[in-house]
Amino acid sequence: MSVRGNRGGLCQYTPPMGIFDEVHGPSGVRPHYRQLMDRLDTIGDADLADRFGLIESIFRTLGITFAVPGHESGIDRTWPMDLVPRVIPADEWRHIEAGLIQRVTVLNRFLDDLYVGSQEAINDGIVPRWLIESADGYVREAHGIPAPGGSRCVVSGIDIVRDEEGTYRVLEDNLRIPSGISYVLENRVAMTRVLPVGFARHSIRPVDHYGASLLRALQAIAPPPVVDPTVVVLTPGVANSAYFEHSFLARQMGVELAEGRDLLVDDRHVYLRTTRGLKRVDVIYRRVEDEFLDPVVFRQDSLLGVPGLHGAARAGTVAIANAIGNGAADDKGVYPFVPALIEYYLGEKPILPNVTTYLPWEPDQLELILGRLDQLVVKPVAEAGGYGIVIGTGADEATLAATAKALRANPRGYIAQEVVQLSTHPTFVDGQLQPRHVDFRPFVLSGDGIEVVPGGLTRVALKEGSLIVNSSQGGGSKDTWVLEDGLEDAVTTR
Amino acid sequence: MRLEIRYLNEFAYSQPAWESHNLLRACPAANDHQRVLSYRVDVTPTTPIHSYTDYWGTRVDEFGILEPHDNLRISAESVVENGPPHEPSENPPNESLAPLAGELSSYLRPSPHAVWDDLIHETAREVIEESDGVVEAVTRICDAVTASLKYETGATYVGMGVADVLSQGKGVCQDFAHLGIAMYRSVGIPARYVSGYLYAADQTVAEAPDDPELDVQTHAWLEVFVPGHGWWALDPTNPQPIGELHVKIGHGRDYEDVMPLRGVYHGGAEHDLGVHVSITRERLAQGTDQ
Amino acid sequence: MLSRHAEDLYWLGRYIERAEDTARMLDVTYHNLLESPSTDETRAWKELLEVLFLDAAYPGPLEGRDVSSYLVTERSNQGSIISAVARARDNARGLRDGISTELWEAINVFYLELARADFEIDIERRAYEIFSSIRSRCQLISGVAAQTMPRDEGYRFMLLGWMLERAEMTCRLLAVRYARLAGEEAEMGFHTWASVLKSVSAYEAYLKAHDASLNPTKVLEFLLLSQEFPRSVLYCLQLVERLLERLAESPQQTRVERAIGRVRARAEFCDISVIVNEGLDQFLEELQKEIYDVSEEVEEHFFRAGTDLQLHSYRWA
Repeated sequence: MSVRGNRGGLCQYTPPMGIFDEVHGPSGVRPHYRQLMDRLDTIGDADLADRFGLIESIFRTLGITFAVPGHESGIDRTWPMDLVPRVIPADEWRHIEAGLIQRVTVLNRFLDDLYVGSQEAINDGIVPRWLIESADGYVREAHGIPAPGGSRCVVSGIDIVRDEEGTYRVLEDNLRIPSGISYVLENRVAMTRVLPVGFARHSIRPVDHYGASLLRALQAIAPPPVVDPTVVVLTPGVANSAYFEHSFLARQMGVELAEGRDLLVDDRHVYLRTTRGLKRVDVIYRRVEDEFLDPVVFRQDSLLGVPGLHGAARAGTVAIANAIGNGAADDKGVYPFVPALIEYYLGEKPILPNVTTYLPWEPDQLELILGRLDQLVVKPVAEAGGYGIVIGTGADEATLAATAKALRANPRGYIAQEVVQLSTHPTFVDGQLQPRHVDFRPFVLSGDGIEVVPGGLTRVALKEGSLIVNSSQGGGSKDTWVLEDGLEDAVTTR
Repeated sequence: MRLEIRYLNEFAYSQPAWESHNLLRACPAANDHQRVLSYRVDVTPTTPIHSYTDYWGTRVDEFGILEPHDNLRISAESVVENGPPHEPSENPPNESLAPLAGELSSYLRPSPHAVWDDLIHETAREVIEESDGVVEAVTRICDAVTASLKYETGATYVGMGVADVLSQGKGVCQDFAHLGIAMYRSVGIPARYVSGYLYAADQTVAEAPDDPELDVQTHAWLEVFVPGHGWWALDPTNPQPIGELHVKIGHGRDYEDVMPLRGVYHGGAEHDLGVHVSITRERLAQGTDQ
Repeated sequence: MLSRHAEDLYWLGRYIERAEDTARMLDVTYHNLLESPSTDETRAWKELLEVLFLDAAYPGPLEGRDVSSYLVTERSNQGSIISAVARARDNARGLRDGISTELWEAINVFYLELARADFEIDIERRAYEIFSSIRSRCQLISGVAAQTMPRDEGYRFMLLGWMLERAEMTCRLLAVRYARLAGEEAEMGFHTWASVLKSVSAYEAYLKAHDASLNPTKVLEFLLLSQEFPRSVLYCLQLVERLLERLAESPQQTRVERAIGRVRARAEFCDISVIVNEGLDQFLEELQKEIYDVSEEVEEHFFRAGTDLQLHSYRWA
């Protein structure tokens, strides 16, 4: 299959066999992509290359960089956005949205049940108690901390992939400090400058209201008697790799960006140190991890937190988003049980299925896993950013042996999954459109009700054949266009 | 036995400290052989004290002093009526432990201060193989811990792993407790750390003192789970079974979960240098008999 | 605004002013030695270091190149220009959204220039260039700040730091130079007083206001009490007082307002000729101390010590 282009055209685009390509279906370019592909065709190679260069300079001017962990601070790379956006038609989006709302509803309930409720799901054996108790993100000190409305996951980033058949599946839940929304918003800004005509020809649902939506959600969880709550963003500071996003969101919401040392707890109430004295704080959108949040109760060596914050949260005088202890639900070992939790709490089948997952701590499954190690993906439950993942199909003997050893030694520390050949998407590489694997992280806001941002971060593995999409490991991103309803008709009549 | 316990901690700073936040866990627990008749916390400088019960069931007294202060005095006084705990009446077989692994997993997995290596595992395993039944295994492992460490202060530090403690052969009561916990867990016996007071002049010899008033330190021991009985307390620091001389404050996976006092503060000069703190003292007075 | 931001802006102002004053005084000292070869070089450099409170700490020989190096590019010297600019830059970086992009860039570029591996202090050949370049950079920063920052609290705190530093420096310079010269009236020549004026870029302004005879009392009066010249001590104190009034939270006069009021009044109502006859050095000494007290009061009042990162944790068994 190839894209025929005029004026020397976009070169042959050949998606790999047996893989779902987002743009190319069995009978050619999919309807919702035709207009975009035509537009790219019209622009032509040379102009496209120019526009690609323009992206880099746009991001540099906007100051959008990110620091790669492990590299010296001060060496920031510009955010890598690809020229070709991902397009999601309205009906597909409806499906995704419904699945996300269902999933986040259940995750909220499970966490509330765990920390302030009677732990019904655990008592009824839906999730093994020992699994939760052994989760790194399980925080015993979170017991008894109220969350108004049960919105513990105010911001969730649910990672979704598309398998070989084109089925959307949830790959991972991120309920602690999911990041990337600022890139979603800036990708959109860049896109409107880089493909203005292409952009105008589609009816794309906007994302720029995110700041307002997030603020609304944060205000909604303020402790009850407060009428006009004061919200702050708590950041670890400029040295943090995601600082740009913290600062960006604070500005978008029009709230103060504070570090731990700017806050003070007096008699279990939280205050901001200002030049006009202490100002009461009601809601904290914290981008500091649980264990660094309060040196009195958690890690004593943390300088990022606020001494006494845990006490204030317990007392219910301040709301913390996302709630302390969400890691009990986004542990990769708990992920396999989420479909069962959906059935338990809602009596419904999951709209978005999981990826087939095997549990190494079940002895029979362990043997199965070890027997098929060269065909499966093994993931550590505790790592983020795609680190530590072993993809059996590409691994050498030594790696496989080491993985087997690790699994036997600490089965609770891993899960194994079937390798999903992620869908591919045309990506501008070396002056040509080439297929690269993509995934997708939409953002879900939970405050007074659940709202899904129409779009999200499509991440692309820039290396050919690679399935690792994380930016910290050389991944890129694409703007994601969710089309308004009714567009399909307009497209198919062409 | 009725005991009056006064836990006193005094900080004297060489320069003023401010914005101090603290958590105190000094209140004796209430259980089937321990009754708390009164408990009272006094802090100087005066400040509101908030109390709650934490995840492990231990009472926590939380307070902060924001203004600059040169001294911080924390005193917790309690009156406790204490009897000896019940010993297990039966000796269940070793296999009875396996079904508990799910419910009691927190007390079976390693925790920061109780991480075992092959040597510890082997030592415990040998004992359990030679033992007939859980109670016998538990007793013999406890004896093994008592025998493998010599009580000595200053030889270890907080955070030192039990493997290192064992190879060094010396430690204080926390080390005895953590080593015991590591050994028990390594062979599948649920074990937890206990913080409390010991009414005895010598921690290695748990005998009632001649003098009713006594200065002591806080003490640490452990509890293991015996199927059919429940939690059974043992003190590896001394060879005697736990009686009414031991007053429990609370338990947890290890020291981290039930630390008697912890906190943060600004100023006050260097933490370890220049801070003069009088040693935690308790005075236990023997009241009129039961 | 966040106390921490106010504090960062306050110190930013102080650091940049310090850098500029240091560069200017270096320049004047150096050229003074060139123009009057009979001057005692060792003493000139020692005096400069004394003004900057660095005479005790300075480890090297009292020679032009070494002292200049120490004062411009020596990182281990907390009072060097590069140290001051590095700190200003750190503050600016933490402020990011609190200052304009242009201001950030002006400071960043300044630092990067000083930090260049090949930025050498070759005093013999390039002194003028280097010192004047440093002064330009500082003036650029001051200008960019004035042009791009809204006149809000943040700006006021920055200006507050700037002016306090300037007042302290001018006062200190006078105290050291005058105390030195006090016992040697006969040698208080034209060059000496001219160099004092040039050290605060006041020479031409003085000539406009008075004449080239450089009457010592008039020079002192100008540098202490001029209400027009922006580097005079009184000018700075009056501006500080106005800034503190604008920053006041309540109508009640605070300790810091009383402190600045006191010292400004002392300066404003002093009789120079009386002071010159009865004990200028003591007057200057006390004035210095009172200005320093104002700084302390400002820091105590606005930047209550909570924003430091000196958090200690403890645990007791």
